[in-house]
Amino acid sequence: MAIGTLITLRAGATLWTRSSSRTLNFASSFVHRRDKRNISIKSSSFDPPDVGRLAETARISLTPQEVEEFGPKIQQVVEWFGQLQAVDLDSVEPAIRSDIDGDNFREDVPRTFGNREAIIAGIPSYEEPYIKVPKVLNKE
Amino acid sequence: MASLLYRGLQIRPLLIYPSPLLFTKKAGVFCCTSKCLQTQSLTQDKPQSQAKISTRNQDKGLDKILQHYETIIGIETHVQLSTLTKAFCGCAYNYGAQPNTNICPVCMGLPGALPVLNSKVIEFAVKLGLALNCKLSLNSKFDRKQYFYPDLPKGYQISQFDIPIASNGYIDLDLPVELGGGHRRFGITRVHMEEDAGKLLHSEGGSHSEVDLNRAGVPLLEIVSEPDMRNGIEAAEYGAELQRLVRYLGVSNGNMQEGSLRCDVNISIRPIGQSEFGTKVEIKNLNSFSSISRAIDYEIVRQAEFHSQGLSDQIVQETRLWDEGAQKTVTMRKKEALSDYRYFPEPDLPEVILTEEYVASIRDSLPELPEMKRRRYEQMGLSMQAVLFLANDVNVADFFDSTLAKGADAKLAANWIMGDIAAYMKNEKASVSDIKLTPSELAELIDSIKSGMISGKIGKEILFELIAKGGTVKGLIKAKNLVQITDPAEIEKIIDNVLAANPKQVEQYRGGKTKLQGFFAGQVMKESKGKANPGLLNKILLEKLNAKS
Repeated sequence: MAIGTLITLRAGATLWTRSSSRTLNFASSFVHRRDKRNISIKSSSFDPPDVGRLAETARISLTPQEVEEFGPKIQQVVEWFGQLQAVDLDSVEPAIRSDIDGDNFREDVPRTFGNREAIIAGIPSYEEPYIKVPKVLNKE
Repeated sequence: MASLLYRGLQIRPLLIYPSPLLFTKKAGVFCCTSKCLQTQSLTQDKPQSQAKISTRNQDKGLDKILQHYETIIGIETHVQLSTLTKAFCGCAYNYGAQPNTNICPVCMGLPGALPVLNSKVIEFAVKLGLALNCKLSLNSKFDRKQYFYPDLPKGYQISQFDIPIASNGYIDLDLPVELGGGHRRFGITRVHMEEDAGKLLHSEGGSHSEVDLNRAGVPLLEIVSEPDMRNGIEAAEYGAELQRLVRYLGVSNGNMQEGSLRCDVNISIRPIGQSEFGTKVEIKNLNSFSSISRAIDYEIVRQAEFHSQGLSDQIVQETRLWDEGAQKTVTMRKKEALSDYRYFPEPDLPEVILTEEYVASIRDSLPELPEMKRRRYEQMGLSMQAVLFLANDVNVADFFDSTLAKGADAKLAANWIMGDIAAYMKNEKASVSDIKLTPSELAELIDSIKSGMISGKIGKEILFELIAKGGTVKGLIKAKNLVQITDPAEIEKIIDNVLAANPKQVEQYRGGKTKLQGFFAGQVMKESKGKANPGLLNKILLEKLNAKS
């Protein structure tokens, strides 16, 4: 399961005060069992993930067993990233983005894509000239 | 690459937290108004316009309601930009093109495709932000707004969430004279860049729906107003002024019918004196400025019903659709919960960085905006009606300004444009760019009448030909021999002929029927083929008529 880079915290989350000096590498955190960790936690800083809701918002179907299984694993990953909380940001100017590449623009000049037929051919239910989808009544 | 996110409710940004990686979750309701609880409405001339509105709405009982309740209105507007290509790919966009022809892997959201920003989008965003007197964010970014819908190929919309490119501005406008007039200033909360979704159509028979992705990826600017409007007229005029503005700037054609200008209205009412805001209702599917006005009037009445019966807590916070046929708002199917858009920074797009030089160069290139034109025209001494008419369409204003540049008098030029020329354009459904009359010829016409070379009546006739077929004033005068007769002797001759030809009427006139002067004047005009100077005509005619009595 690929992991994104964003973490959201509950408002008023307690910061980590001491993180373990051991570095967790990515792979090991995955198979690592909770009880073996040494990280001191003032209180549970993160809500346990609502896996059912996460799956629903991502439109991924999970069996009840998978829901139960994934919860702790997701929690682990989040807490692993949570180590970043220990960094002192008081004197750091917030960055909007973390890239260094800078501008990447296009001129406003039309270019026709050369292989529209291939795109159309890849549409599972195409009824010229529209893409056919199940009847939609209302947004979400 | 899937992303793991904790729950985050969609909020209007109230504060920007300092840490870049973390968003705070706020138990926030959709509320562009919550930030503005303390906002003072900057309206002036309020009592006058309220009185005028009450006469208009007498039959709706609206004035009675307005005595007890205050209406708070905010508007979200989406402006489709008239760039040649889409926001993030090189596909062209042509309204009305065959479905699914302006597409490519990027706007179709096919795997592996990456967005590249169209530089024109930033230019238009900065233009509009400056024109709306906003503060620009020299550093901003794009975010993903995630939800599933068949017209959204990527499963997310690239938008700007917490750092819009422009914010904290205002717009000045004048209410139409016939609706009470008055100057207003409404706040602009923010302006941000985003992309449009495709079009969803419902098939006959209702067995399935159909998607056209031509429009997916077309650049939009979303303009969110402060909740400063207080009635349907103000809201409608706000929409009209935005349309005027985007057309003046050339960033959009601002057509509500085509969908290049879309307005969603947020409205709540509260008893006058109450500090708490009432429940906010959103209204969509407004296709014209008059619909905006009527929908608001309807909704005020509907919400007041609840309040008057003490059931204000039963007003549901929801989105309603305006039903143009039935002239009422109706509930959309209620959503189960607030939408969770899981905003996060768009990883495929870099930061948007504006330099001071760039902003300055765009600021210098801004045309004269509608508000500035109106104030300039007002100072010329034109009536408010003329000011609003001339400044409404930038092409008409340019025509007027060009005519003035050739030396014409402002009031006379305004009268011609608002009168005969506007009438022609209306009848023939022509725009000012279609007519053959040029500003210099209009100036020439005005001058010819002023100098007495031709009469006003002849002027009107020439005008029609100039508009329809073009040509020059001097040319037409010569060709049709239209020079006004100002030689008293010549006029006298014609009058003598007319009097001699109508002895009976002369008798009657001298017997007391002085109204017959008009008859004689008409006959003289006819004889002279309309060329007699009216003033001289009547002077000499009177002398002759009264001479022998």
